[in-house]
Amino acid sequence: MSWWVQLIACGVAAASFSVLMHQPWKTIPVTSLIGIAGYSVFLLLGSSTMGFFLASLLIGVLCEICARLMKRAATLFVTGAIIPLVPGIGLYNTMLYVVEGNYERAVSVGAATLLGICGIALAITMSSVIFTAFHPKRQKEAPHEE
Amino acid sequence: MDSITTTLDAVCLASQLILESGGETYRAEETVERMCQGLGVKHVDVLALPTGLMLTLTLDAEDNTISRIVRVHTRSIDLNRVDKCNDISRRVASGSMSAEEALRALKEIKGPKKEKRLLLIAASALSAASFTMMLGGVWVDFFVSFFCGALVQLVLPPLSHLRVPPLISSMIAGALTTLMALFGTLALPGVTIEPVISGAIMPLLPGLAVTNAMRDTIRGDLVSGGARIMEAILSVMMLAAGIGLMLSIWGGVRA
Repeated sequence: MSWWVQLIACGVAAASFSVLMHQPWKTIPVTSLIGIAGYSVFLLLGSSTMGFFLASLLIGVLCEICARLMKRAATLFVTGAIIPLVPGIGLYNTMLYVVEGNYERAVSVGAATLLGICGIALAITMSSVIFTAFHPKRQKEAPHEE
Repeated sequence: MDSITTTLDAVCLASQLILESGGETYRAEETVERMCQGLGVKHVDVLALPTGLMLTLTLDAEDNTISRIVRVHTRSIDLNRVDKCNDISRRVASGSMSAEEALRALKEIKGPKKEKRLLLIAASALSAASFTMMLGGVWVDFFVSFFCGALVQLVLPPLSHLRVPPLISSMIAGALTTLMALFGTLALPGVTIEPVISGAIMPLLPGLAVTNAMRDTIRGDLVSGGARIMEAILSVMMLAAGIGLMLSIWGGVRA
């Protein structure tokens, strides 16, 4: 399947998933674009743990920036944008091998899937931590609130 | 000046709504703290968990202290609600909204949702189908996956109405998706099962739960983080169990 079909499908999938999560309408196009950006990085790097990590890092950083710009919670953007990266195919294959009794392959595919998920989680956390730590506005505002 | 109970009601309702709608626990805590600052509460201590919320307010110089525990029973995902609560808490914190106004606005958010069922079914179907395309499906797979997504969204809300535990309904969802996909391979030639099932289960995966869990854990909310990770792992396992169950039943029937 050619890459542009995958990218369009990724955008539509991220957008409709956002609708399913009751995301505010205004944020959906942005979410979809961030999802496409992340998935194209993932396609370029190949489905390795590093690919998962770097693509999610890009998504996390873009989402945090958009959250600042649009004054909304970053979670709103991350939820929809990250979903194309989640390794559903690995999960299915793991289950298939378990059912077939092919435990060797089940373990290896399962471990790769788990590592991918860990990579995604780590990247999202890192971007969120970076942005909370260096959030100039909050540091300025804090003394006024006291 | 707002009365004590109005303040407490507004603060509790805001963070309860956030917890019920898939917000992070630290967001629920931060909301309470920020709102209390805006409402002139002297001191506040709050502990939010995925399953409940405890808070103690000290209101004035005479040290009148008041506490409340709020239980959170249902956890679904509604990011629009989180967004609205966030907005209200921001306005209360900046002092442009009183506790009474906030309470009224929050009650409106809590009130019965205008269920857009058809929209949700369409969204579920379309996202399942596009995930299938994204994972290398062809047009026939797109149609099968479309029906899988629609079927899941058709079945899940009535199940939660019947108070079927979320873990069980995620197993049912996995099994239904697989069954539908397997029927698809029988009915239509050229359907490959792999992209159909893996695409159709994508919307069912607990992506938000995992990211929230990581955020909570990193911020030091170990209890909520651990609980959420547990929730996410269990729900993936139940989903996988549903798929596996149906695959092995199907294999047994055909053999």
